[in-house]
Amino acid sequence: MKQCLLSVRDLHVNFDTVRAIDGVSFDLVAGESLAIIGETGSGKTTLARALLGLHPAGSVQGSIRLNGSELIGLGERDWGQVRWKTIALAVQNAASGFDPVYRVGEQIIEPMRQHLSLPNGQSRARALALAEQVGLTERHLHAYPHQLSGGEKQRLMLAMALSCDPDLLILDEPTSGQDMLSRERMIALLRRLRAERHFALLLISHDLAAAAALTDHTAVLYAGKLAETGDTRAVFTMPRHPYSWGLLNAYPNMTTSRDLSSIRGQMPDPTQPPSGCRFHPRCTQAVEDCRHREPQLEYHDGRQIACHLGGLQTLLSVQNLHKSFSLNGSGPLPAVRDVSLDILHGEVVAVVGETGSGKTTLGKLLVGLLEPDAGDIAFDHAPHQIQMIPQDPFESVNPLFTVQAIVQEPLDIQRVGTRIERTGVVRETLAAVGLPTDDRFLARRPQELSGGQLQRVVIARALVLQPKLLVADEPVSMLDPSEAARLMNLMKSIQNERGMGLLLISHDIALVRKVADRILVMRDGAIIEQGLSSVITSQPEHDYTRSLLAAAPAFDWFSHNGGR
Amino acid sequence: MQNWLPRAAELTAPDKPSALRRILHTTLGLEGVVGLLLLLFFVVIALFAPMIAPHDPNDFTGRPLERPGVVHPLGTNDVGQDILSELIYGTRVSLLIAVGVAIGTVTLAVLIGGTAGYAGGWIDNLLMRLVDVMLAVPRLPLLILITVLAGAGLAQMTLTMALLFWPGLTRVIRAEVQRLRGRPFVRLARHFGASPLHIFRRHLLPALVPLIVFGLVTAAGRAVAMEAALAFLGLGDPAAKSWGLMMRYALNLPGLLLTDRWLWWLLPPGVCITLLILALTFTGMALENRIDNRGQTR
Repeated sequence: MKQCLLSVRDLHVNFDTVRAIDGVSFDLVAGESLAIIGETGSGKTTLARALLGLHPAGSVQGSIRLNGSELIGLGERDWGQVRWKTIALAVQNAASGFDPVYRVGEQIIEPMRQHLSLPNGQSRARALALAEQVGLTERHLHAYPHQLSGGEKQRLMLAMALSCDPDLLILDEPTSGQDMLSRERMIALLRRLRAERHFALLLISHDLAAAAALTDHTAVLYAGKLAETGDTRAVFTMPRHPYSWGLLNAYPNMTTSRDLSSIRGQMPDPTQPPSGCRFHPRCTQAVEDCRHREPQLEYHDGRQIACHLGGLQTLLSVQNLHKSFSLNGSGPLPAVRDVSLDILHGEVVAVVGETGSGKTTLGKLLVGLLEPDAGDIAFDHAPHQIQMIPQDPFESVNPLFTVQAIVQEPLDIQRVGTRIERTGVVRETLAAVGLPTDDRFLARRPQELSGGQLQRVVIARALVLQPKLLVADEPVSMLDPSEAARLMNLMKSIQNERGMGLLLISHDIALVRKVADRILVMRDGAIIEQGLSSVITSQPEHDYTRSLLAAAPAFDWFSHNGGR
Repeated sequence: MQNWLPRAAELTAPDKPSALRRILHTTLGLEGVVGLLLLLFFVVIALFAPMIAPHDPNDFTGRPLERPGVVHPLGTNDVGQDILSELIYGTRVSLLIAVGVAIGTVTLAVLIGGTAGYAGGWIDNLLMRLVDVMLAVPRLPLLILITVLAGAGLAQMTLTMALLFWPGLTRVIRAEVQRLRGRPFVRLARHFGASPLHIFRRHLLPALVPLIVFGLVTAAGRAVAMEAALAFLGLGDPAAKSWGLMMRYALNLPGLLLTDRWLWWLLPPGVCITLLILALTFTGMALENRIDNRGQTR
């Protein structure tokens, strides 16, 4: 059993009416590393400063135990014994960390003289050794802060934080504001230093790539509370709390080809946090309980998650689905063979494959427009909560109906609200898909609309019943490229806004990788490869996937020009 | 498929045609106008028969077999009743039967054809075999038999004719419902949770309107002809003076065709029957065209 270096229990930090940190607990074992990630304003820096006793006394409640002794309530003198020697902090803004009127060398020596009572010569030698460890020379120590680059200052800041050989190093955004190369160097440096000196690391960052590269464990902080904690690799590859999931999906990095998507809504006002679970207004799967009762951090399958539902739920689960068609006399022709798949709440899953691969049949089976020969489809909501956007909008609307009748039909069938309310919903939904809402437009018939407009009408119809899952079968294949792109963006933003699941059926892998979280590759009725969108498009395993990617349209000037 | 591209007709600005031309061309067409006017003419005559007819057709207002004159514009029949009045009142009988048979036939056809087409399976099989049997049986002999057995009241006759006419239309309606049932928008409506009633009311019935109009008009026309035929054979309701009954009485007169009497006794009811059937046919054709174009043009 390793020794627990830092143990934080039920930590609260309040400034007047602002509850910046609201009941955070975690442990950090000596020599291990923990990343605390979250959006700006989630309370990460406040937490770091609380661990160093930098907040006014009385604003911090709870317990912070360092090697078993309580830090909260210590006087300024006793804090002096802890800072630098046991816990050292390298702050976010290296420029403001150094005093501009002293040489940086002097400033690095200062904590050693104060806290370790080292004589001048000894501390100078140590400062030089530290500078060399962070890849700098004596020349840098003689410089004034303004004579150094940002990266150099950041490295010297790190050297200073390590000067008293702390057991725990807290790094607040060590890589923010740096270019990619210095960021890479910083990460490499920190890895090397940790390997040499075995200090525990608490990394506060919204640079998720740095967190992934540097830490063993990760805690996700949201609005002053921990949403999820666990093994860094596990959290990053399969985030389970809806917030972690959204955060990681929102994060742009080199391994994803997706357009930036974000979590819907805004970070709550810290003076008036939402009731119940703080994330519920932005959560795609919130239930009534989430509005009233605050979830606690609890173990769910080996990971601590603060969610009443135990984390992200599976929205639709399909097991071993089979479907065959018999064509005049010949034997049964399998269209879907042994397909299993899961779709999570708020997830965008794309099924790609060429014509005849069974994609459309799969979509129809999921929606219930076809009956499977064998297999299970588990969906915990009413069947009409799965909606379909078919390939051909003209086929899917009654040509005798007006726009209003088309969009209102599901509401009429389900008898939602009064007649006037239904018209209101129709107008709202039409506005949401970017269509006019005046009476003249409502009275138009399908033949009077463009393909793009009609496809939007069909999307509006699919949305009026507030579906949990939308199945879109080649929703833009009949549109011109610019309208297709607009519609794709619209669907993505609606999906994001409403937090529903989206199953996108397409032959165009180039198109879907911009919006899909996961891609399933289908061939001859079976799923031959599946995985995260970024992985499938960058490291496809199957030859067929590779050929789909190669066939994706691109402006390939060079390879074609040679023949001219 | 690029059917959302503007059609050529939509690209050229429509010029404003005169009101008359609009009615003739865009709304109903020539045959529609003629058909509707004729139909209207018969309906007005039927409605206002007591006011238009110079005499009560059952009263013996003159001597038998009078030639046309001032009192009796079309003369009198063999028992001294006014032929013009008989003709005018006969419109009521013909129209009543036409409307009754048309509604009865279409109702049966829509209900049975709709059920068979929508339900499919053994229900469809059963109903369609019934249609086959009905179609195989020769109509007129069966009608004669039923009329003889059930009596010759107007109501029985109407019902009997409806029972004979439904199978043909039922087949057509079933085929159309079967086709519509497979259309994606109907399947989607079912997916939204629509009951068969909703689908029938909102999707099937409006789409069936052209067939229904066609069915109504065809059945009405056939009913008029059939009634005349039955009356002519002496199987009509003797109390209801129809055009067919008039022709029968006229032809019963020995040597009718040897004199010019047939001109005002036999010919007028024959012409009326022809004109009414023609009116119904024209109207049906025009309405069918017009309704068929719904959903295709503005």
